[in-house]
Amino acid sequence: MPPLLKLILRRLGLGVLTLFLVSVVVFGATQALPGDPARAILGKQAADKAMYNALRAQLHLDRPLYQQYGIWLKGIVTGNLGTSTASGVSVVSLIKQRVANSALLVVFAAIISIPLSILIGALAALWRDSVFDLTTSVGSLALASLPEFVIGMLLVFFFATTVVHIMPSVSRIDPSISVWGQLNLLILPVLTLVLAVAPYISRILRASMIEVLESDYVQMARLKGMPEPTVMSRHALPNAVIPAIQVSALQLAWLAGGVVVVEYLFNYPGIGSAFIDAVNNRDLPVVQAIALLIAAVYVIANLTADIITILVSPRLRTGLR
Amino acid sequence: MEAEDRPFPFDIMTRQYTRRDVLKGALVAGAGASLAPLLAACGSSNSPSSTSSSSGPKQGGSLRIGIVGGSANERLDGQLATTEPEIAITFQLYDALLGWDENYKLTNLLAEEVTPNADATVWTVKLRQGVVFHNGAPMTADDVVYSYKRIIDPKNPKMGATQLAALKSSGIKKIDANTVQFTLDSPNSVFDEAMAVYGNTIVPVGFDPKAPVGTGPFKLTSFSPGQQIVFAANTEYWGEKPHVDKLTIIEFADPTARVNALLGGQVDAISDLPSSQVKVVQAQTMKVLDAHTGAWQPFTMRIDVKPFSDVRVRQAFRLLVDRKAMISQAYGGYGWVGNDMYAPFDPGTPTNLPAREQDLEQAKSLLKAAGYDNDLTVTLTTSDAVGGSAVAAAQVFAQQAKGAGVTVKVNKVDPSIFYGNQYLSWPFAQDFWYTRNYLAQTAQGTLPTAPFNETHWKNAEWLKIVQQAFKTGDKAARDQLVGQAQTIEQDQGGLIVWAFNDQTDAYSGKLGGVVPDKGGVPLSSFHFNKFYFV
Amino acid sequence: MSVISQDTQELIPGADELLPEPQPGGAHRRREWVDIIAGSLKFGRTRVGLVIVVAIVLLALIGPFVAPHSPFATGIAPDYSGPSAKAWLGTDGIGHDVFSRVLCGGRTVIGLSIAATVVAMILGVALGLLAGYSRPAVDDVIMRLLDVLLAFPSIVFVLLLVALLGHSLWLIVLAVAVTHAPRIARVARGATLEIVGRDFVRASEALGVPRRTILMGEILPNITSPLLVEFGLRLTYSIGLIAALSFLGFGMQPPAADWGLMINENRAAMLVQPYAVFVPVFLIALLTIGTNLMTDGVSRALIGIDRDTGAK
Repeated sequence: MPPLLKLILRRLGLGVLTLFLVSVVVFGATQALPGDPARAILGKQAADKAMYNALRAQLHLDRPLYQQYGIWLKGIVTGNLGTSTASGVSVVSLIKQRVANSALLVVFAAIISIPLSILIGALAALWRDSVFDLTTSVGSLALASLPEFVIGMLLVFFFATTVVHIMPSVSRIDPSISVWGQLNLLILPVLTLVLAVAPYISRILRASMIEVLESDYVQMARLKGMPEPTVMSRHALPNAVIPAIQVSALQLAWLAGGVVVVEYLFNYPGIGSAFIDAVNNRDLPVVQAIALLIAAVYVIANLTADIITILVSPRLRTGLR
Repeated sequence: MEAEDRPFPFDIMTRQYTRRDVLKGALVAGAGASLAPLLAACGSSNSPSSTSSSSGPKQGGSLRIGIVGGSANERLDGQLATTEPEIAITFQLYDALLGWDENYKLTNLLAEEVTPNADATVWTVKLRQGVVFHNGAPMTADDVVYSYKRIIDPKNPKMGATQLAALKSSGIKKIDANTVQFTLDSPNSVFDEAMAVYGNTIVPVGFDPKAPVGTGPFKLTSFSPGQQIVFAANTEYWGEKPHVDKLTIIEFADPTARVNALLGGQVDAISDLPSSQVKVVQAQTMKVLDAHTGAWQPFTMRIDVKPFSDVRVRQAFRLLVDRKAMISQAYGGYGWVGNDMYAPFDPGTPTNLPAREQDLEQAKSLLKAAGYDNDLTVTLTTSDAVGGSAVAAAQVFAQQAKGAGVTVKVNKVDPSIFYGNQYLSWPFAQDFWYTRNYLAQTAQGTLPTAPFNETHWKNAEWLKIVQQAFKTGDKAARDQLVGQAQTIEQDQGGLIVWAFNDQTDAYSGKLGGVVPDKGGVPLSSFHFNKFYFV
Repeated sequence: MSVISQDTQELIPGADELLPEPQPGGAHRRREWVDIIAGSLKFGRTRVGLVIVVAIVLLALIGPFVAPHSPFATGIAPDYSGPSAKAWLGTDGIGHDVFSRVLCGGRTVIGLSIAATVVAMILGVALGLLAGYSRPAVDDVIMRLLDVLLAFPSIVFVLLLVALLGHSLWLIVLAVAVTHAPRIARVARGATLEIVGRDFVRASEALGVPRRTILMGEILPNITSPLLVEFGLRLTYSIGLIAALSFLGFGMQPPAADWGLMINENRAAMLVQPYAVFVPVFLIALLTIGTNLMTDGVSRALIGIDRDTGAK
């Protein structure tokens, strides 16, 4: 087997192992810790012995821990995520639409932030030490420091409430109307996400671009008389973009968790706000399902970033351990 | 984009519906001569009244209401209604035998005449003639018998069952096609109030909650639990027929979203306007519906644990509160002062007792007599679940208590904990209640059999008086007994009834027929059949 | 294998790859991080950051002593009233003085963040040292387990614990520390590995110096430089995370005056009372920008030459 393939398979295997361990952590954090879930769910009605015992049996709380985990895991793999204790409906039906809604936010954020950041980073590198470079540099640093909810609130401050009133400050989607007719509700949440991840991507691209522009390869091309745009498009940008791709994949991963606070802030019906509701209601099946989902996205995105790195990075391909 | 190209995986309507819906909305807002043909095309049964300036109620239109959000496990069964959306649904689809008018007076709905016997153990109800269900079948005594048996069914009791505890299945009898008789195990002079509970809906024999049929002013068109419910006008309604053709109730968990929907024109009226938003709403030419109700959020003290087991401590605590200031700070002024008595609209409630005001000196001396000298510390348990301003009121109380040397620690807990298995065990907490008359409220909160006795109230003398009142058919005599019972609670009870909160809602200037309702149920007690566009 | 996967939340170019050349002998080296901090102050951005942070920390520390009213006193002026003589920034929903609450609201944010960061550093450095200075098998196991923790976005992990154990302040500090520890451990481990291979360490080992002494005496002092940067980054993110938790309702509870909590409490009324929401927003924003500016300055000093501008 070619060493490259072996490397990729190893990385995949580690990813699967990580996912498995993640599921153990999620299960442990919610079911293995002290506290009686059945009592927490029933509340006052826990005094009714029949109901209490029935619920315990239903939640398999009478079985040993490892068996509970096995049952739970089997359920996950077969698509049965359990029943929400707060609303009584199946977790899958509860979060289906919300997963789609959050995916929409993430996709929009990615589509906007990645090209935008690459452009800004490339220009900043090209026009080093110019006003543009310094402004974007300081701006990136500032944005990178801010927690997402602060970015969101600042956007609300500037565009929805105090400075101008052109944006809605809440993004509640009307389920009976096509989302495409309500795009204005998505602008602020998407913009928040974009501003949260763009600084990292553009900084990496800038640094990487500077390195590439100073490399022998590019100098050689210039000395040979190649026109600057061609130098950029054929030699500089493709090489500089590699680390940006890694970073982008990782930022997509981050977005999976970033939606939690942003959706809560804008009241957007996605899995982030569903997660907060579930934590507030001690709705453990929903908490488990969403935590697992977000972690899985994170692991898979990391995995993808690594595999891309392996594939495009000649150093790593040759210098295998 | 073709209908087949729906963006995955959204549950959307086709583009045509979207356009039509928008047009309808726009036209309703704008009014004008072109209203008639388009509305006729959309299936409205009424032609618009006139094209002149807005003077009287216009017929037709699509009414959209924004209310407080529920959850995905909402039910269409009125007899189980507990959350605001479920209550709203109940008022549209169903009627009970009796109801409450906007001044909190009993009024006949499906009953035409209600007659108790001498000792209030047998109640004969003559039914209104000519009432039909949404499926066209006439309402008869059989349906009433079925409905009440369904409510009190011991295997699956509904919301109203506790108040009907004295009624057994064998006591519900059909006398003839239009008359039903209720025989109670023990006398209940206010049984008619029990029949007026909105959850005691009359449904046809064989009622299926999944395909609900009732006698109410609206019929169900579609139901997305936790999101919205759509209704169509019931043109055969026995009462005031709806002025609008279509009603959509949309749920908003977040108050800001609800208010924004009103301001943005996505809904025509909303319930539960936060007091902070009153100015905002008025600035945009919306109207605020402010109803003085009998709804209350008491502080509850358990009389069976220290320190509240000493009546002097309870009396002292009642004197800690500066009621007007608390209303102004916690309710933004939207409330009226309470004198530690509930059931403000009950004719038996005494009105001549001196108004209790803040008296820190007296409070301090009472506490000292009880053995506490500036060293009393209590924990006040509260939660957002009690109501929007409950936590605020708790904080204000803590501040006010300092003046008498009492330290109050405010412990805000999650809704699931507050109403979890420790609910009714908190030594010092809050709770919320809607408007009721006295005896009905005791059955819920202060009788030994009451399901929600937060204060664990127990008093032999008081109990004798109340039990007597339940037996007394004569209104005047009963009012007197109620007055005596009220006075005992006012003196020794564990409840601090510091105010009654207003119900504040908001609606667009285009709506008419919106009146304040004392019962505490929002938006004219959800009587949307009375609303019209001007 | 875990070396490939770098978490980009803190991808400051090559921070953990560039260490000043370590010298044998402990006491001599301890001054290095002092030099780095001094060097960082030469940059304009570090000075700006320092000024901002000091200003806000002073505000938070001294604020409670100069506040005109108690942050818990209600009814200072009518609810949601605008700025007036009695309440310089107006009042909130129950008549609290917003200005006083702003002055008192920084202590908890800053205090809890510092606590969480310190605990995280202790945990992370301990684990990183251990991983870097142990057998490869032990190293692998530790890093594998830490990778699992890294699979959770910080907020998801903290909320996961809150869902079960309820929200108490010590739990939040601990949970935030645990989410940061893996990243710190990774940096510490990388730095440790660099040092471990060096001659002076091998020499000490050959001399029979106990491993623990080598760890504390020779390795730890040499990795403080990149850890300085980590501390700054972690502090910035801790402030953001803890403020976010209060914003979501899982941190400080009413009637506490806390910037994150204030933002959420008053959001519904922000059209009527913008100060109660946006003054805390700006303060948190400035604070995190300040700490990050300082961290960036330190990291540049660490790299020695400013790679971007070619200037020192």
